[in-house]
Amino acid sequence: MLERITLERRADASALRSAATYGVALVVAVALSLGVIIWAGVPTGALFEELIVQVFLTPAGLARTLTQATPMMFAALAAALCLRLKFWNIGIEGQLLMGAILATTVALYDIGGPIRLPLMLAASALGGTLWIAVPALLRLRFGVSEVIVTLLLSNVAFLFLQHLLFGPFGDTSHNFPTSPVFDEMEKLFRFGFGDTHAGLILALSAVLAIAVLVHRTRFGFAARFAGDNPRAADALGFETRRVMLISILLGGAMAGLAGGVIVSGTEHRLTQAVGLNMTFNGIVIAALAGNLPLMIPVVSFFIAGLSVASASLKVFYGVSEGIVLIIQGIILLTLVTFQFAATYRVTIRGPEAA
Amino acid sequence: MTDVETARAASADAALALDVRGVSKRFGEATVLNSVDFDLRKGEVHALLGENGAGKSTLMNILTGIYAADEGQVAVYEAPARIRSPSDAVALGIGMVHQHFKLVMPFTGRENIRLAAGTARAGSDWATVDARIADVLRLTGLEVDLDVSVSALSVAERQRIEILKALTLGAEILILDEPTAVLTDQEAERLLGLMRDLAGAGHAIVFITHKLREVMAAGDRVSTLRQGRMVMRGRAVTEVTSQALSVAMIGEQETTPIARGASTLGAPLLQVQDLSVRKEGVGVVDGVTLTVHSGEIVGLAGVGGNGQRELAEAVLGLIPSTGSIVLHGSALTDGTVSDRRAQGMRYVPADRTGHALSPNSSLAENLAAAAVRTGQLGHMLISIHAILGFARRLIDAFGIAGATAGGRRPVRLLSGGNAQKSVLARELDDAARLIIAHSPTRGLDVAACRFVHDRLIEATARGAGVLLISEDLEEILALSDHIHVISRGRLATTENAKPGREDIGALMLGHA
Repeated sequence: MLERITLERRADASALRSAATYGVALVVAVALSLGVIIWAGVPTGALFEELIVQVFLTPAGLARTLTQATPMMFAALAAALCLRLKFWNIGIEGQLLMGAILATTVALYDIGGPIRLPLMLAASALGGTLWIAVPALLRLRFGVSEVIVTLLLSNVAFLFLQHLLFGPFGDTSHNFPTSPVFDEMEKLFRFGFGDTHAGLILALSAVLAIAVLVHRTRFGFAARFAGDNPRAADALGFETRRVMLISILLGGAMAGLAGGVIVSGTEHRLTQAVGLNMTFNGIVIAALAGNLPLMIPVVSFFIAGLSVASASLKVFYGVSEGIVLIIQGIILLTLVTFQFAATYRVTIRGPEAA
Repeated sequence: MTDVETARAASADAALALDVRGVSKRFGEATVLNSVDFDLRKGEVHALLGENGAGKSTLMNILTGIYAADEGQVAVYEAPARIRSPSDAVALGIGMVHQHFKLVMPFTGRENIRLAAGTARAGSDWATVDARIADVLRLTGLEVDLDVSVSALSVAERQRIEILKALTLGAEILILDEPTAVLTDQEAERLLGLMRDLAGAGHAIVFITHKLREVMAAGDRVSTLRQGRMVMRGRAVTEVTSQALSVAMIGEQETTPIARGASTLGAPLLQVQDLSVRKEGVGVVDGVTLTVHSGEIVGLAGVGGNGQRELAEAVLGLIPSTGSIVLHGSALTDGTVSDRRAQGMRYVPADRTGHALSPNSSLAENLAAAAVRTGQLGHMLISIHAILGFARRLIDAFGIAGATAGGRRPVRLLSGGNAQKSVLARELDDAARLIIAHSPTRGLDVAACRFVHDRLIEATARGAGVLLISEDLEEILALSDHIHVISRGRLATTENAKPGREDIGALMLGHA
């Protein structure tokens, strides 16, 4: 009897209510996630140790978490910049791979002399920008759905990556499909705390810069206005399409940089696993952060922790790595459901009311 | 006697298919239907007239189970009926062809009908449905290709599929909502013929239209709604004149012009020459020429959907057009929206949340948006304090209630009146020279309407010109110095700068 259920937008959706909703949703999501982990075979007594201590409180665990969070922040910025404009970029992995490929090209062909490392990062940003420029222009000029184009271009980028690793970029000293290890001058500075590297500083700087851009500049104002209501932005004389294009290209650059910091900071070479799951991670983090740049480091930190925990759960308890995706899905769905409940009032009419 | 006359005579004392008594409907504060009576006889075409917002759609939505009435009774074939959902309406034999067709575009006509039958109660297997379609086709002589995708069909063909769908689902009572609005004249003729045939076969038909000629040509009886009241109920079309209908539709009481200072008509401000807009190959604005002087309010009356929105958007530069536009001596024909705004053009669109406001941005940001755009609040960096300070002044000056926390809350939480006040506060700044206001008081209460009118008059006192586009004739008559009427994208103008109510009505209905 669907016709007896009515939805009504709440007029009183206050900031306090939405904060409280977010909190309650997180508690429910964590409880559901723990249930899933226990059901998958992890003893209750080990949960705190595995999910908190080993991930956030030991130096080695914390270092792993921070290392993983670094490219995630870039991927989430890429997602947030595009989502704000309702440009559904589900090809973050493709942009990231093209970034990684261009950075590796600079490294392997020893381009740029003393400025090689900055040049690698610039090349990675360029790779991501070029790879998103295609769907962006197709969408803005011809109305082609970016969902299909970004998704398929990810596959193209991955196949191109494989071609390079099995061909011109392959390391001839062994049979694994990876590039040779980079020279010392092509690696980002390491802090001596696990694998953490200067990419973390870059990521946090990017977060700050984009936060300023979105919330404190005329351009960011136009982007927010146009993202929410492009017709109203047009009627006010904002250059809606230009603003959209620049934001989207910037998103591509962020995805490219994620690839850049992975190869130059973490892996020190190009591998097939670069960028794995980064589209999903980026979108989940951006959504949980409400597309607010300053929330992205916080959420990235926890999502990275989850991913680190899953590695040890797999080793010690034989829990599949897929559990991370399930838990991310649970958290996202719970949050979206609670936000819906906070925005709308659901009324179920009795059979007598008509 | 012709066939039509025979049918009309036969239907005169036929059984009541629908009997609506005292139906009222309120949405929040607004009473949309006020104790409405309406009856429909078996075998008749009953024309229903009324301006936009008169309550026609609401009444039909009640009869088809989309809305529930707050008060009143409905009887179907003289049995009390409770229509609580669209499927109740289908079960009672009530079918409706909406103005915007409810068809799944990639499906064929047959698939669409099967789909609709599948949600109805009984006999929904495909063979039964196909057999019923064949019966209806044979009985009505409808011709339409049912086995190609609906997206490949013309509008008239899609409409025939909608009619076929309603009849296949067993509709004895058929409601057609402005069915001729989307048709060419020949197609409309054919549809009117079909309606007469269906009535002749015993169906009861409600025909919603704005065109008097069609009422006279195809209707048996006519009813007229005005502002939620049934002002003319079930009169035989042979007994009414088109003049009487136009008076019933738009009222006849004298409007008292709103007191304004001595009219100081200045120099020509906006000069539009031969402006035309084509949309998907169809001309929606056709050779419009008009002038707005400094200090003048030019009213543009017309039934909604006759090119008003396109005209406004073309003048503002939002959509491409041909012709010339000059504002204050500057040729703006090729200018962008921001060029035109820089010359003092401002826009208050009919759909304020859809076309003027960013609902999820704060009130302050919405108020400051135009100033941010022009760089008034900073060229590169913009401080939140500058935005809040700017907004504070406008909130005070325009008395925008509900602006808590200094305007930090999203604008979507404001009431309609306050949302419109925020649009006006932004658009009626000191540099505003020519204001295009489209239905600026739609959906507002009396006090808010008054407020909007006062602000527009104030702007003219400062030397601005206003192009007031409205479907509310009272508003046009009360405010305008000069009145034009738009019908099918063309301006119909009389020699008189302020034509009378009846002349305007006739021009709106397109038979003068």
